[in-house]
Amino acid sequence: MHNVLCVLQQGLWALLLWPHLFTVSVPLDCRDDQASLARCPSISQEKLLDRVIHHAELIYRVSEESCSLFEEMFIPLPLRLQSNQGGYACITKALPIPSSKSEIQQLSDKWLLHSVLMLVQSWIEPLVYLQMTLDRYDHAPDMLLNKTKWVSEKLISLEQGVVVLIKKMLDEGTMTTTYSEQGAFQYDVQLEMLEYVMRDYTLLTCLKKDAHKMETFLKLLKCRQTDKYNCA
Amino acid sequence: MADVFSPGLLLMLMMSSLDWLSTPGSAFLFDRDQAKSAPLEPHFTECVSRDLETFRCWWSPGSFQNLSSPGALRVFYLRKDSPLSEWKECPEYNHLNRECFFDTSHTSVWLPYCMQLRSQNNVTYFNEEDCFTVENIVRPDPPVSLNWTLLKVSPSGLSYDVMVSWEPPPSADVRGGWMRIQYEVQYRDRNTTNWEALEMQPHTQQTIYGLQIGIEYEVHIRCRMQAFTKFGEFSDSIFMQVTEIPSTDFTAPLTLILIFGTVGILIVIMLIVISQQQRLMMILLPPVPAPKIKGIDSDLLKKGKLEELNFILNGGSIGGLQTFSPDFYQDEPWVEFIEVDEEEADSREKEDDQASDTQKLLAPPQPISDHRTIRCSETFRHPEEVFDHGSCYSADRLEEDSKVQMDAPPPGQAGDKESSTEFAERTPALDRCRAPPVQTQTGTPQTWVNTDFYTQVSNVMPSGGVVLSPGQQLRTQESTPASEHGAQTKGKQRDESGDMDGQRQKEPQFHLLVVDPEGSGYTTESNCWQNSTPSNSPNPGAGYQTIPPPPVEIKPAASADANRLPYILPDSPQLVAPVADYTVVQELDTHHSLLLDPTPIQSPPPCPSQPPLKTQIPVEYITPDLLGNLLP
Repeated sequence: MHNVLCVLQQGLWALLLWPHLFTVSVPLDCRDDQASLARCPSISQEKLLDRVIHHAELIYRVSEESCSLFEEMFIPLPLRLQSNQGGYACITKALPIPSSKSEIQQLSDKWLLHSVLMLVQSWIEPLVYLQMTLDRYDHAPDMLLNKTKWVSEKLISLEQGVVVLIKKMLDEGTMTTTYSEQGAFQYDVQLEMLEYVMRDYTLLTCLKKDAHKMETFLKLLKCRQTDKYNCA
Repeated sequence: MADVFSPGLLLMLMMSSLDWLSTPGSAFLFDRDQAKSAPLEPHFTECVSRDLETFRCWWSPGSFQNLSSPGALRVFYLRKDSPLSEWKECPEYNHLNRECFFDTSHTSVWLPYCMQLRSQNNVTYFNEEDCFTVENIVRPDPPVSLNWTLLKVSPSGLSYDVMVSWEPPPSADVRGGWMRIQYEVQYRDRNTTNWEALEMQPHTQQTIYGLQIGIEYEVHIRCRMQAFTKFGEFSDSIFMQVTEIPSTDFTAPLTLILIFGTVGILIVIMLIVISQQQRLMMILLPPVPAPKIKGIDSDLLKKGKLEELNFILNGGSIGGLQTFSPDFYQDEPWVEFIEVDEEEADSREKEDDQASDTQKLLAPPQPISDHRTIRCSETFRHPEEVFDHGSCYSADRLEEDSKVQMDAPPPGQAGDKESSTEFAERTPALDRCRAPPVQTQTGTPQTWVNTDFYTQVSNVMPSGGVVLSPGQQLRTQESTPASEHGAQTKGKQRDESGDMDGQRQKEPQFHLLVVDPEGSGYTTESNCWQNSTPSNSPNPGAGYQTIPPPPVEIKPAASADANRLPYILPDSPQLVAPVADYTVVQELDTHHSLLLDPTPIQSPPPCPSQPPLKTQIPVEYITPDLLGNLLP
């Protein structure tokens, strides 16, 4: 019960933060063409990075709450593997993203940003699917549905932010979203109910993990931007 | 890939679900149920990471004591970074602690690890639940460098606020952003056992509110990664205590003293004001002069309580006023009374027993002790004559000492039927040139010796003065008309002369009924006057004007004047004919109409030659328009 209360509390937190996020998020759909310059407010690189990090933090938090909520509701106790088994069932396992800190620290800024972008882009489509499947549940709480919906929306804006950030920091052109093609997600496989549940559970845990990854990458990037020599 | 693993996954799930009915499993990630029926096989007790960069795992041989020797069990791990990953052995053993340490090169954060124990003879003890990802097993080190500062003490001196600050654990790379940590501060009273936990927050300082002075508090802090569930250990406790500050004790009583002092002073002031109320009222609100008669409550006058008033006045007969009446205004030294002296009226009193009260009231002034009263030789008697007190009064009576009988009913009132008789009587008195107290409705005390208040106005000066006709029969009559409401007067001194015409005329309140000299209707002064007015100087003797209420009475000064007044010559019968027609103006009413005594018909006014009034003048008063009828 204590866990439920904690989850509910954090869920309320996320709900309260939604309007804040909507106000914080700026449509970063800025192109270089002349027409969009007027619409797009200019923003400094630091502020943009802060906003992106803030997005990532919130996404992680809400996804963690969603996962816990799902776990409480639908997963019996012995099956709560906490992403143990499903480690390589995550859709993003194929992405060339290092996992150890030492490796990560060896990544350049460019690869950090690209890694984040890959992650974000690879999660956009599965979240859409997740929303669809959660609707099929009989007793899915509205909070869970709202959270997943929120996460999918925020991921899109996060993607936009990272794109702009790449453009600003690396002076590169926009990259096409090609990563979502990889790790094809199978929708149409007919599974048992338990499998459905476990698949969704795995999806949520993977989401949580990847959100944490994104957040950490961005934070490392920030540390490098502000204080290059003291960052670990 | 999913197809390959889904049956496997399903199988594993089935097995796990079957195991659910039995022991919940020995995975260190879950709460362990130590009571197990089966012998405990070697297992991992815990795997913990402190900094998200390294981690350690500890194992125990369980019940298999033969495997407890170092090296009997080997640790293998599987890092699932690819489907082709293999089990590897622990990179660093610490057999003393039965610990396997994974350094940063062997630690991958978001990848699942599975741990396995293998014995020498390749018996594998593997628990599927012993798989984890490193970020989920993070238990940060406790914060360091705790200290506290006193923020503020409450004004009551009973509680205070404290700011606790600390440093993040040095092992956690918080500054680099690698870990996000939030802290939980707990404190308690050192004597109790329950800890108070504050809200988790990511900053390295926190305020604790509402600590009590004198109690020693213990504070410790623990932290965990944000949005994760596992807490690190508690930090070392610090102790804080604030003892009582003596200065606070000082200010509180001081405030109380001030408050009580102020209240006490206010009470004292109130008492002073209440006790000295009269005096203060005198100072602040000086009394307005108002007519006051000793022994008579002015309220009776206001309300027209004639009966009480009569009672008071008549009570005890002579001494009524003195004896029975309550002493009003005794304590007001500033009140000057007009006293009506009834001492001399003994003889009168008898006569007047039958007289009405009103008549008594309207009786002419009584002699006062310090008067030089000259009794006239004859006392006019009439049972109803109010002014029967035939004594003549000295004119030098001081006004201040005079007590005036109240004439409660203004002469003009209807109840003055008696007055009509009075007046009727008066003429005979006038005939005799007495000086009846007369008409003073007011019973003015003034009487002049051998003065006749009635005279005929022979002419009116353009300046307003009235010229009395000389040669009128002297009448020693008391004229009081000039004097008026003694009751109301305060004892002004007035000269009769002053009262009379001229000066009076100048006073706005006086109306001299001036009619043409030949006219008979005017009220003239008693024609018995001898006229003293050889000159045309305005004679006070001329007509009495009604004396307006406030005025006065003729004063004793009049007596002096009497000597001076030319017309007061008691024995100069220069007046040829007494004034035939005259009336006495009693007073002025509110409309400034003259209230006249009706001319007594039977009185042959020898002095005035005017024809008697043709019409009966009503007793009450004559309005100016009626006056025209009076004129011949």
